[in-house]
Amino acid sequence: MEDLNFMYLSYLTPWVKVVQPLKVTRSPLRLERREGEIVVNEVNFVRKCIASDTSQYDLWGKLICSNFKISFITDDPMPLQKFHYRNLLLGEHDVPLTCIEQIVTLNDHKRKQKVLGPNQKLKFNPTELIIYCKDFRIVRFRFDESGPESAKKVCLAIAHYSQPTDLQLLFAFEYVGKKYHNSASKANGAPLGAGGGSSQKTPLFETYSDWDREVKRTSASGWRVCSINEGYMISTCLPEYFVVPSSLADQDLKVFSHSFVGRRMPFWCWSHSNGSALVRTALVRDVLQQRKIEQRIYNAITKSHPQRSDVYKSDLDKTLPNIQDIQVAFVKLKQLCVNEPFEETEEKWLSSLENTRWLEYVRAFLKHAAELVYVLESKRLSVVLQEEEGRDLSCIIASLVQVMLDPYFRTITGFQSLIQKEWVMAGYPFLDRCNHLKRSEKEAPVFLLFLDTTWQLLEQCPAAFEFSETYLAVLHDSTRVALFGTFLFNSPHQRVQQSTEFAISKNIQLGDEKGLKFPSVWDWSLQFTPKDRTLFHNPFYIGKSTPCVQNGSVKSFKRTKKSYSSTLRGMPASLKNGIISEQELRPRRNSLILQVKPAPLEPRDSQDWDVEQFFQERASRPADLHGTILPRLSGAHIKLWKLCYFRWVPEAQIQHGGFITAFHKLSLLADEVDVLSRALRQPRGGPTPAPGPEQAPSRLYFHAGGPHDTPGTPDFLSSSFPFSPVGNLCRRSISGTPLSKFLSGAKIWLSTETLANED
Amino acid sequence: MTVIFFSSVPSQNYFGKKMWIISFKALTGAISSYETLPVLALDLFNKEVIYICPFNGPIKGRVYITNYRLYLRSLETDSALILDVPLGVISRIEKMGGATSRGENSYGLDITCKDLRNLRFALKQEGHSRRDMFEILTRYAFPLAHSLGLPNHHWRITFINKCYKLCDTYPALLVVPYRASDEDLRKVATFRSRNRIPVLSWIHPENKTVIVRCSQPLVGMGGKRNKEDERYLDVIRETNRQVNKLTIYDARPNVNAVANKATGGGYESDDVYHNAELFFLDIHNIHVMRESLKKVKDIVYPNVEESHWLSSLESTHWLEHIKLVLTGAIQVADRVSSGKSSVVVHCSDGWDRTAQLTSLAMLMLDSFYRSIEGFEILVQKEWISFGHKFASRIGHGDKNHADADRSPIFLQFIDCVWQMSKQFPTAFEFNERFLITILDHLYSCRFGTFLYNCESAREKQKVTERTVSLWSLINSNKDKFKNPFYTKEINRVLYPVASMRHLELWVNYYIRWNPRIKQQQPNPVEQRYMELLALRDEYIKRLDELQFANSAKLSDPSASPSSPSQMMPHVQTHF
Repeated sequence: MEDLNFMYLSYLTPWVKVVQPLKVTRSPLRLERREGEIVVNEVNFVRKCIASDTSQYDLWGKLICSNFKISFITDDPMPLQKFHYRNLLLGEHDVPLTCIEQIVTLNDHKRKQKVLGPNQKLKFNPTELIIYCKDFRIVRFRFDESGPESAKKVCLAIAHYSQPTDLQLLFAFEYVGKKYHNSASKANGAPLGAGGGSSQKTPLFETYSDWDREVKRTSASGWRVCSINEGYMISTCLPEYFVVPSSLADQDLKVFSHSFVGRRMPFWCWSHSNGSALVRTALVRDVLQQRKIEQRIYNAITKSHPQRSDVYKSDLDKTLPNIQDIQVAFVKLKQLCVNEPFEETEEKWLSSLENTRWLEYVRAFLKHAAELVYVLESKRLSVVLQEEEGRDLSCIIASLVQVMLDPYFRTITGFQSLIQKEWVMAGYPFLDRCNHLKRSEKEAPVFLLFLDTTWQLLEQCPAAFEFSETYLAVLHDSTRVALFGTFLFNSPHQRVQQSTEFAISKNIQLGDEKGLKFPSVWDWSLQFTPKDRTLFHNPFYIGKSTPCVQNGSVKSFKRTKKSYSSTLRGMPASLKNGIISEQELRPRRNSLILQVKPAPLEPRDSQDWDVEQFFQERASRPADLHGTILPRLSGAHIKLWKLCYFRWVPEAQIQHGGFITAFHKLSLLADEVDVLSRALRQPRGGPTPAPGPEQAPSRLYFHAGGPHDTPGTPDFLSSSFPFSPVGNLCRRSISGTPLSKFLSGAKIWLSTETLANED
Repeated sequence: MTVIFFSSVPSQNYFGKKMWIISFKALTGAISSYETLPVLALDLFNKEVIYICPFNGPIKGRVYITNYRLYLRSLETDSALILDVPLGVISRIEKMGGATSRGENSYGLDITCKDLRNLRFALKQEGHSRRDMFEILTRYAFPLAHSLGLPNHHWRITFINKCYKLCDTYPALLVVPYRASDEDLRKVATFRSRNRIPVLSWIHPENKTVIVRCSQPLVGMGGKRNKEDERYLDVIRETNRQVNKLTIYDARPNVNAVANKATGGGYESDDVYHNAELFFLDIHNIHVMRESLKKVKDIVYPNVEESHWLSSLESTHWLEHIKLVLTGAIQVADRVSSGKSSVVVHCSDGWDRTAQLTSLAMLMLDSFYRSIEGFEILVQKEWISFGHKFASRIGHGDKNHADADRSPIFLQFIDCVWQMSKQFPTAFEFNERFLITILDHLYSCRFGTFLYNCESAREKQKVTERTVSLWSLINSNKDKFKNPFYTKEINRVLYPVASMRHLELWVNYYIRWNPRIKQQQPNPVEQRYMELLALRDEYIKRLDELQFANSAKLSDPSASPSSPSQMMPHVQTHF
C-alpha cells in the first residue's frame, strides 16, 4: 500500500501490465449479423474482464455496437466454461440493447465516472465501461490499449442506441422490414411463420377461431365470441375478438363500453367445468353509472352460468400491491442480489430479502389466485377480476388461476397460449413495463412476477408442469430481445398501427395483412437449437396420458370431469405421532389439540374460514396433477427463485450441485423409459432391432447414450446451469481494491441523478 | 478384532442371522412393553465360486459375504459342505494367479485365517468377480485399513488408552504419529484439556495430509508451555512435507479462546508454535446454540410466524450458526485438499465443535462417508467413540431440563448434513428420512447407539451386549433410507456454498408437527423417480415377454404372422 497513486492508476493487479494486447489475429474479427443489423461503432484492443479477482482470464477483442446489440468479438475461447448453451441470436458475450439498464464509464487516471444517458457528452476518455443489464448481468470492458477516441465513441453510441425515443427505432422494425423486402423479391409472400416453429402451434388469439376453440375446449356454454372490436373500433387495448356472455347483444356492448376505462368492458378468460367463469374488466368510470352497469353485466354473467350462480367480484386494486410497489420491490431485490457486496449482505440477508417485499408480493398474488380458485371451484361462482385499467394485476391473477385450475396451461403450448391470451392480446403494456425505450416511469416487472409465481408452483408441484425452470428463465430473457413482436408492444393495436406506419414509410406492401408480422418468441427455433430446446422439458412431468404405475400394473391417467369435481375426499381420521388429520382439527373440545390455533389469522368471517378449510383439506391429500393444484403459502414455502436471480453471481454458484443434478439423473431414467416404450411400440416380426440412440432424438437434454453419458454427474453442472456466471463482474473484485472506496459501491451508480452531472 | 473405534458399524450389535432381540429400555424407565427388532446382515456379495478344498479337491459352491461373515454352500449334489467364517477370523487376503493364468482354478483368492486354516477360492476371470470379492473382504475384514490405509510409516495405532487410562473420554484405540512414543503421548496429555491429545481423524488418500483432532492446550494466564506438545505438533507437521506450516483451526471465536486462559485453557500462540498457523473459526459455544434453537421453536411452534417469517428466522441466528459451522468445515477441507496442509482442529474440550468440524470436513472430502454405511461409521467414529457427550447434551433419562450441559450440537451437525444434501441432491446415498430417523432415535433411547457420554462408560455399562444399535434398524430397512438420486462418485470433494442465500430452515424436521406446513410426503421429486423406475422395470418385463413370444413364434414355422397391435398392449406416453 506504499504507493497509493499507483493503486489509483490501476486497480488491477500490477502484473496485469505484462499481458500482451491482441496480436494479429488469424482471421479478422467479424460480427455475425442479423438481417437489418447495422454496425454503428466499434473499437479494437478491448479487454473484457472475466474473473473477479484476477485478470488472467481476461479476453482481448473488439467491442461493437450495432442497432441490435453490443457484441464483443474475440478469438479467445471462453475460459472456465465446459458447456455451451447458446442463444442463436446472440454471441456468447453479446447484450441486446434492450437488455441494457445502465451504462457507466470510468477513467481511473482522472478518477472520473459518469452514468451515460442518451445524447450526452463525455468530457473524459473512458478507460473502462461497465454495463448493468436488466437480466442482472454486469459486464465490464477495459480500454487500456484501445484508441481513446474510438472507445469514447463506442460508449456514446451504446448509450444512444440503447435508449431510443421512438418505438420504430427498435431493432425488430429494421429486421422485419428487411425480411419483407427480401421476401418480396421471392415468389412466396409470407416472410415469417406466425407462431410456428414448434411441433404444436401456439394459438395466438389474434383470430376469431382461436377464441372459439378456447370456448369449446372449456365447454363454456352461455358465452360467445364477439367481433365488435374488429379494426379496434371500440377499444385500442382490447383484442379484436373476445368472448362475452351470449345474452349481451353487440349493440348493448357498444353502449356499455363507453362507461369503462379504456373502453375495456368485461371479457371472458376461462370457464371451469362446473360452469363458473373467470372474467376480467376495467373500472366503470362514472361512479353514478357504476351500479347500474355492473348490475347489467353481472346479470348477464349469471345467466351464462349453468346454475345461474352469483358473481363474485374481486377488486384487485384494493387487495394487491400496485405496480409501483412491485417495481420498488424488484429494484430492491436486484440491488440485493447483484449489486450489493456479497459478503456484506450475508449477515442480514434474510431480513434484507424480507425488506424488499418481493416474496411477500409473490405470496400475495399466489394467495389471492388460490382464493379465487376456491370461489370458482368450491363455491361454484363466476369471478370477475376488476382493476382500474385491467391490464396489469388482472393479467397475473387471471393467468395464475388458470395455471392452478387447468392442466392444459401447465403444458408448454398451453402456457404460451395463456400468455398470448391473458397478456399479449389482453393489452399488457409490455413496451412500458419492460422499458424498451428511454427510461419511463411506467417500468414494472409484472410479467416477471407472474413467471416467479409460476416457478413457485413448479417448485412445489414439479410433476404437474411440462416445462422446466430453464424454460421460465429463458422466457424472461426473451422479453429483453427486441427482435420479437411478442413482448414489444403495449397492445395488439399498437403493433398494427406502428407497423403499418413503418411499412408505409419504408414502402413495404402489406397486402391484406394487418400490420407487419413480427417473429414470435414462440418460434423457439430462432433462438435455440433443437438440442438446447430439449432443456425446456421437465423430466418430472407426468402428462395426462403418461402411464403410471399403480399396484404394480401400468395404468394411464385420463383426464376426466371428476378431476375437476370438488367432492371432498378427506383423509381417514387418524392421530399419528401428534399429527392430526384435518377433519379432527376443530371439533374436539377440551383436548390438547385445541392448543393448536386453527388458523394463523383469526378468521374474520365465514368466508375466510371456509377458504382456510379448503386449503387445509387440499393440502392434506396428494396433489392432483391433472386437476387443480394449489400452492402452499406459508413463509417457509415461498422461496427465492435462485436460478433466475443468482445465475450470474459467481459466489452463489454451487459447483457440481444444485437441483439440476437431480434433474440430470431423472432425465437419464426418463429417457431410458422413453426408449423402452418406443421399443414396445415398434412393430415386430423378424429380428428385433436393438433400440439404439440413433432412432429418434430424445426429448430430454440429458439422455442415456448422449454425449454426457457418463456414470456420474457431469462436471459442468452447477446451480447456475445452463447459464454461466463466467464473465459476469461480481462485486468482489472491486470491493477488494482501494477503488471500491472511491466508487463506493453500485448503489450510487444506479441512481442516475446523483452522478449524472459529475463529469 | 472386537470393538475398535473404526470398527464397522454393525459390530456393535451384530448377530449373523435374523434374530429377535429385546431392546434396552432401562433408561426410559418404561419397561411395560419390550420392543423387538429384527437384526439383519448386509448382503454384500453373492456369487458362484470354486472352493479348493484341501481334502476333497475343487467344489463348486455359492459364496455369500455379509458384513459379518463369509458363508459358502456347496452346489454339488454329493457334497454337503458348508463354510461359515466370521470376517474377524481373516488375517490376510491374497490374490493368486494373474490375467495370463491358464491352469484350471489357478485364478482366485487365498485367505489366511487366524484360526489356523487357509481358504482358497477359484473365480472366473471375467466380470471382475475376484476384484469385487477381494475388495469387499478387505473392506469388511479390515475396516480400519480400508477407511484410512493405516497404519503406514507415518502413523501407528496405539493401545495406550486400552483401559481408558490416558484419556477416559477417548476411544481405546488411537492413531498417532509414528515418531511419537507412548511416553510422549502421556506428557502431551498433561498439557491438553481432559487429556484429549491430538490424534488422527482422517488421512488424505493421495497427498497424505491429515486431519487431527484434540482439545485446547492448557496455556492458562501465565502462558505455560509444554515442550512435548510443541514437538508433538511439529512431528504431526512433518508427516506431510508439502507445506512447511501446520494449520491449527480453533473453532471458537478469538475472544472466547482468550477468555479460556482464565480457566487454564487457551490456544497455540505463534511465538511458541513456530511452524503452525492458527485460525479462529468463530463458532459459538453450546449455550449459544441451545438458546438459538429455543428461538427457532418459538417461531415455528405451535404457530408459524407468518408476517415476518424471514426476519424472525434471522433473529434466531440458527442459520447463521449453521453457516459458521459449514464455513469452518469448508476451510478445513479446503486446507487439506487444495492447500495440501495438515490440519489440527480443536475447540475447548474437543467434543462438540471439533466433532462437527472434523466430521463435516470428512464428509466433504471423502465420498465414502456419504454412503449410508460410511455415514454410520463417521458418526460412530467422530461422535460416539470420540466422546461427544450425548448423555449430557441430550439429557437421556434426566429430569433436569434446564441443565446447562444440554445443547443441540449433534442436531446442528445433522442439519449441516441436510444443508449439504440439499445443495448436492445426488451426492448422498441416504435421504432426509435417514437423517430424521437418526435424530428421532437420538432422543428415543430405544437403541444403545447414543447412550452415555463416551466409550469407556459404554463399555462399563455393556451397552453392546444390552442394547441394539440404531444402525441395525437402518441397515435392515436400507431401501427406506436410500436417496434414489444417489450417484456414486469417488474422489469428488464437495464444497457446499455456505451462504445465507442457500441455507434454509429444515422445514420437514423443525416444522413437521404443524399440519399446515407439512411438506408433501413422499417428496414429489423422489416419488416421480420411483415411479419411473417401476415403469422401466415393467417395460423391460414386457419387452422380455415379447421377445420370448417372438422367438417362440420364429421357432414355430406354422404360426401365422400376427399383427403387431395384437401382440403387444398399446402403451401410451405423452412423449
